[in-house]
Amino acid sequence: MAMEHRASVETTAPTVGEAVERGLAKLGLTREQVEIVVLEEGRKGSLMGGGIPSRVRLTALDPTAAEDPDLEAARTVVQELLERMRVTASTTAEWTVPEDEHETRHALIEIHGQDLGIMVSRRGEGLAAMQYLARMMVGRKLGRPLPVILDVEGFRRRREQQLRRMARRAAEQAVERGRTITLEPMPSNERRIVHIELRGHEGVTTESVGVGRQRKVTVVPKAGAGADEPPSG
Amino acid sequence: MAMKELVEYIAKALVEDPAQVHISEVVTGANVHLELMVAPDDRGRVIGQNGRIANAIRSLLWVAAAQEGHRVTFDIV
Repeated sequence: MAMEHRASVETTAPTVGEAVERGLAKLGLTREQVEIVVLEEGRKGSLMGGGIPSRVRLTALDPTAAEDPDLEAARTVVQELLERMRVTASTTAEWTVPEDEHETRHALIEIHGQDLGIMVSRRGEGLAAMQYLARMMVGRKLGRPLPVILDVEGFRRRREQQLRRMARRAAEQAVERGRTITLEPMPSNERRIVHIELRGHEGVTTESVGVGRQRKVTVVPKAGAGADEPPSG
Repeated sequence: MAMKELVEYIAKALVEDPAQVHISEVVTGANVHLELMVAPDDRGRVIGQNGRIANAIRSLLWVAAAQEGHRVTFDIV
């Protein structure tokens, strides 16, 4: 069973520089402490979309330097819970990258395995319960609260694809109708996916509005873009 | 057995006095009944506000039990 800490991450962002920054934040390391491989040089999209994000891989030069004690504490608790539940899975840990200054980083523990349907059955009840208990247990272990979030591999990836489609559809609608489209409230990691998907878009800009759980992305048409006739006066 | 270990691991991580964590397990056919006992001062730490921690433990027990084809009930006594 894989028990290693994540000493390598792959990240995606509109530019190589942003992808590197994001990877460093996830690992909690500085540029001097990692080896950087550019997997894909992104390019900007057109009005029709089609931009390609940049993708990089960062690997810690000294794997022990990547062992953040808070991340390791959270990952260990989740792994131990899974083993006692007889769920065959491995875990990796990384910091989330806050979307903006309103947010704090979270310890994201990702659960990897072949047969994890049970964890997300009954509308993810098991996953939600484990996340709550892990927060309480890690909080007591560290003597201070640590925001822990759990994710199950595969389920998040599917959600990401769904969000990208939703973002592109909203952009099309915003351009066609020449007015702002507001998406459902969603957590910061999901809002970030929408922002990135549309950042290269020539017809729209995106902005998050609202507070806390009601925070949502708005897709705003750029002045003059897409309208059949530009507004006169 | 697995379920008892699960409750023990969670309870000991939450209480002030792990030495006083005791769990009884009664198996009747496919049904497993677990009872958790902790020091009086630690009861709140395993029950939680509005029973939220106890309910989270029940949810995880349900997952563990489903793996083994069991049904499980859980109480804090």
